[in-house]
Amino acid sequence: MADERPVLELRGITKQFPGVLANDNVDFDLRRGEVHALLGENGAGKSTLMNILYGLYQPDEGQILVKGEPVRFHSPKDAINRGIGMVHQHFMLIPVMTVAENIVLANEPTRAGLLLDTNAADRRVRELSRSFNFAIDPEARVEEITVGQQQRVEILKALYRHADILILDEPTAVLTPQESNELFEILRTLTREGMSVIFITHKLNEVLEIADRITVVRRGKRIDTVDRQGATEEGLARMMVGREVLLRVEKPVSDPGDPVLTVDDLHVFDDRGLEAVRGVSIEVRGGEIVGIAGVDGNGQTELIDAITGLRKAASGRVAIGGRNVTGATPSRILDSGLGHIPEDRQRRGLVLEFSLAENVALHDYDKAPGSRWGWLFPRQLIRRARELLTQFDVRGGGPQTRASALSGGNQQKVVLAREIGREPSVLIAAQPTRGLDVGAIEFVHRRLVEARANGKGVLLVSLELDEIISLSDRTLVLYEGEIVAQHGPDVTEDQLGIEMTGAGSKEAAA
Amino acid sequence: MSGLSGEPPDMTGQTPEVSEPTPESKVPSVAARLALWQRSGGVITPILTALIAFLIGGLVVFATTGKNPLNTYKAIFKGTGLSWLSPVSIHWHLFYPAGIHWTGWDTTSPTALNLQQTLIVVTPLILTGLAVAFAFRCGLFNIGGNGQYTVGALVAVQFGVWFAGLPGPLHVIVAMVAATLAGAVWGGIAGVLKAATGAHEVITTIMLNWIALWVGSYLVGFNGPLQDPRAISAPVTRPIADSAHLHVFWGNPLLQGLHVGFFIAIAMLFVYWILLNRTTLGYEVRAVGFNAEAARYGGISVGRNFFLAMAISGAFAGLAGSIDILGWEFNLDLTVVQTVQVGFIGIAVALLGRNSAIGIFFSALLFGALLTGTSTRNLDPSVFQPELAGNLTRIIQGLVVLFVGADLLIIYLWQARKKLRLPQRKAAEQP
Amino acid sequence: MSVRVQPLQRGAWTRASAPSTIGMIGIGLGLVTLFLALPPVKVRTAPLPVAIGILAVAAGIWAFTRGEHRLGGGAVVSGVAGIGIALIVLQANAARLEGVFVWSALIAATLRYATPLTFAAIGGMFSERSGVVNIGLEGMMLMGAYFGAYGADVTGSWVGGLFIGLISGALLALVHAIFTITLRADQIVTGTAINFLALGVTGYLYNQHYGNNGTPENLPAVPDVNLKFLSHIPPQGLGNFLYNSIGQLNLMVWLSLLLLPVSYVALFKTPIGLRIRSVGEHPKAADTVGIPVYRTRYAAVTLSGALAALGGVFLSIGFVNSFTENMTAGRGFIALAALIFGGWRPFGAFAAALLFGFSSALAARLPDLSASDTAAWPLLFQTLPYVLTLIAVAGVIGRSIPPAAIGRPYVKQ
Repeated sequence: MADERPVLELRGITKQFPGVLANDNVDFDLRRGEVHALLGENGAGKSTLMNILYGLYQPDEGQILVKGEPVRFHSPKDAINRGIGMVHQHFMLIPVMTVAENIVLANEPTRAGLLLDTNAADRRVRELSRSFNFAIDPEARVEEITVGQQQRVEILKALYRHADILILDEPTAVLTPQESNELFEILRTLTREGMSVIFITHKLNEVLEIADRITVVRRGKRIDTVDRQGATEEGLARMMVGREVLLRVEKPVSDPGDPVLTVDDLHVFDDRGLEAVRGVSIEVRGGEIVGIAGVDGNGQTELIDAITGLRKAASGRVAIGGRNVTGATPSRILDSGLGHIPEDRQRRGLVLEFSLAENVALHDYDKAPGSRWGWLFPRQLIRRARELLTQFDVRGGGPQTRASALSGGNQQKVVLAREIGREPSVLIAAQPTRGLDVGAIEFVHRRLVEARANGKGVLLVSLELDEIISLSDRTLVLYEGEIVAQHGPDVTEDQLGIEMTGAGSKEAAA
Repeated sequence: MSGLSGEPPDMTGQTPEVSEPTPESKVPSVAARLALWQRSGGVITPILTALIAFLIGGLVVFATTGKNPLNTYKAIFKGTGLSWLSPVSIHWHLFYPAGIHWTGWDTTSPTALNLQQTLIVVTPLILTGLAVAFAFRCGLFNIGGNGQYTVGALVAVQFGVWFAGLPGPLHVIVAMVAATLAGAVWGGIAGVLKAATGAHEVITTIMLNWIALWVGSYLVGFNGPLQDPRAISAPVTRPIADSAHLHVFWGNPLLQGLHVGFFIAIAMLFVYWILLNRTTLGYEVRAVGFNAEAARYGGISVGRNFFLAMAISGAFAGLAGSIDILGWEFNLDLTVVQTVQVGFIGIAVALLGRNSAIGIFFSALLFGALLTGTSTRNLDPSVFQPELAGNLTRIIQGLVVLFVGADLLIIYLWQARKKLRLPQRKAAEQP
Repeated sequence: MSVRVQPLQRGAWTRASAPSTIGMIGIGLGLVTLFLALPPVKVRTAPLPVAIGILAVAAGIWAFTRGEHRLGGGAVVSGVAGIGIALIVLQANAARLEGVFVWSALIAATLRYATPLTFAAIGGMFSERSGVVNIGLEGMMLMGAYFGAYGADVTGSWVGGLFIGLISGALLALVHAIFTITLRADQIVTGTAINFLALGVTGYLYNQHYGNNGTPENLPAVPDVNLKFLSHIPPQGLGNFLYNSIGQLNLMVWLSLLLLPVSYVALFKTPIGLRIRSVGEHPKAADTVGIPVYRTRYAAVTLSGALAALGGVFLSIGFVNSFTENMTAGRGFIALAALIFGGWRPFGAFAAALLFGFSSALAARLPDLSASDTAAWPLLFQTLPYVLTLIAVAGVIGRSIPPAAIGRPYVKQ
């Protein structure tokens, strides 16, 4: 059982960013040998708090105590020296370097005081990795190993620096359910050996599985700290969001019509020249949502790129509404009735420096009434945008506001307004709720269901299994570029999780 | 969504908290940076930038020659003829005016001649400024203005020599169009290379500058195909036919009066604005410049726009070359080919003018004045050596580009100004 | 995480093995074309080199259409260039040909022309490996060139010139560092400004100090290293060849060659090199383990200026022994291209510098082929290094992988 003495205490931490109070007088403590979960929505202030603890940000107010001693961290180096290690959500690993190089970086063993001792580094990493039962090759380059292994390299980095407090920021976001279970095993081993773990997440089920205590934060404030015993998903959800949450999306039974998108035996190569999509066939009918589940990097991006014309398919056929569009330009494909909500709205969905009117026009700027014979009519663009912005309840600005001035949720609404507003017959939505808060997620989900009710076909690609399950009429599982399984609306997360790792038999694919 | 009031603040884009944008998106393109910069400082920051540059330039003058930089600048200003614009001349005694004289607008005074010179120099600078600015709006950095200008000048001179029988306006148009196209081709090469292979336009345009320089040297140099056979001892082309001369509307044509090319440049400022803001082409160019990835997702062909933007940029620079030839040079000699600078100054013009048509006009005026004021012809060598002053111009130009690039410095200064005010206000509020 | 392109996938290699072999053979044939027409072989008829050149082009097209774009394109270019040069050479008379293609002299000239490029490219390598684009190499070289000459003049010794030149380049690089790292200015715009500044400052000071007279004729120069013993190596022909090609090179040429292994070890075999590279690949990862990102970048950029300035010092007091305005003539940019061409590695960059150096050496000597001293066309050979750079940059980018964080200012929270 965990020792009662806190190894770490945060007292009254306050951090202000321009326009946002990220942390508001937050208290937190960590006992030796426990897993303490920090639970909250995207944007609740969890990562800010941990970045303060790790010396990446300076708090405006408040105090940090390590083993009872007040400390000030000016850089991660100070935190590392106090035995704190952090596994970031986006791994702090250098892909082109070896595992050993990544681990020893800044604490390199040397020969003659000057030269890098690669052998010693490899040896130490191998010993360390063996002692915790990680099967990791120190000489492999990070870009060559799996995401799960990369995460272990991050943990080894902390252990190599003698950390006894480990912060994990959304560690399961990139893992399959099976890999997550392996991670939990590792964490249990570590805490048994006396390490203390802070586990940042927004996933309720994980919290109940791994944490000893749970601290919930909402909008920068600490709401409560509770023991796992007695905590329930509903109770935690209420604390997290501040109101009752609909965990399932209400939708009528689907009534699929004619096929609107047909993908036939598609083969696509990725940037490295490797076959990323290997013979995928999909049919989406009007009035249904087809979900594609899979671990990131199993060909989703290449598949969508090939359908939307952003990448050339090596072979196969794509048809929209019965018309063959294989090999057509992106703008022709968009014109033939495709809407595309891209993966990353700030990078691909919007031109942040453009006004909302210009953003809404991104596909149709060259069509009447917005333009004629190459002349642009800004007033027409503004009029069209005003209609759509009202229709999609975009707040925080009018047609002439720059897109960068909006919040993430409203930015995504602009993308939805553009893509749904042009009345496509088929809508591709790639991770449409990534990084959004609960309110905005609900909005997006509702609009997708609405599009379905209006007879549009929706192809939903998401890494969030609960999103896939609650929205999809049919679910396809993509593994290493192939559809390995297909399900109706009643499928469980566990089933998908197993199939996403390729463990499911291929016969299941009907 | 009526219950939105209860929505927690979504902090995407405001704090590093949520789904960090991918590293690429974190770095704004030059186009985005300039847009940002424009919002944060109004018209004051470019003036501030120029002042800082002149200040440092003045320090250089003082440190190296021990001369009073104010006198130097005054002498340079005198050579620009800008004072002609003001009908009165004021004699300053220390800090108060000691006498005011009505000078009027005498169009034959030396000051008027100087102003004509200045505006003649401003004309190509507006165009090379546009050549840099248009590419900037597409996210490209066109350092190739010099080469594009040279190619334009070469073609203009040859077309001016040919077709001697054509009626005047037609001859001018033929020569100008040909030069503009040549500039477009020269710029377009860099655009095609960028679109097809990703070759960085900074390196390719610099190489194209040098290629243009040597090809030009070959063409107009001794025994070159374009060298004037009657002037065997001078590396210079034949003069263009009279029909290809641009009309001089102010001043004496024999004393290099101001030609109508000036109005062509002004018209191009409008063309630039309309092209960018009122055509679908401009929409595409801006979309690619701000966010090429999003433009691609929106169905816009990025490569095509890279090519078009560079070609149009080159066209502006090529036109500049033709206007100089048809307006006042009338032939092309080797030294001009080898020492052309307008393409480079265009960079400073575009950056200081922040890619806006009006800004480009004023910064072209500034640099044009600086060039004229420091020319051998207009600067009194007893006050300051013109060779030094010419290089001083380059230093100031470099400093301007340096400071314009450092948007953060300007924003810091801007905020520091506010911070200075803030404590004062706070102190005032305290009882 | 950005998408990384692996240089050669084993799968891709085997799949494309036949076209790539043919492509390489094509490049080889192109070189043979060239070789046949030049001394000592000197085939004096057109058909043979032209036939072999066409073969090279055909092999190139075959490889190109089968997906081997790089090698195929290379074979086409080498075939066409081979035929072209062979035909030009055929126009010249045999005696002049002997005069131009003295291989030992060409080797010496190649090394001489490659030296400033090597210094600048290695300098650029440190800067870019740390994540800072250095378009300002040209200006830093120019500073080195002027202050090298000035320093040698004032101190009366080439050592003084070398150090003063080196420091001037480092100082200018420091300006680049302040603006790009601390003030997070656009690295390319700042680099351009650096070039203007250097042009203005050196032009200004040169005019003020030397004016119309130019730098003094008796400037202390960096000495040549005379390896007389090379000429005694038997047989006589080989000894002379060695002596004439590498026996009388400037000290700084040797210095640049020494720089190669030193910089290789520093970058790839020491903790400091590992840290520089980590900062250039993923500055935040480096920051989270306690590597001072800003300080590392400052050091790397300043070093790059010092090295580029050495290239300039060589130009002014090691090569031509005088300073003229804008004497670097785009070499900084060619060095940058060599760096990219060489995959941000010392020996790769050196190989590219040799290629560009060879083209410059050729450009300087080819005009002698012309029978008349007044013909204008030899001037066109001056474009050779620039055209070659253009082709190299267009052909290779997208193939070689830049440091992942290059061009991106790091925002420390």
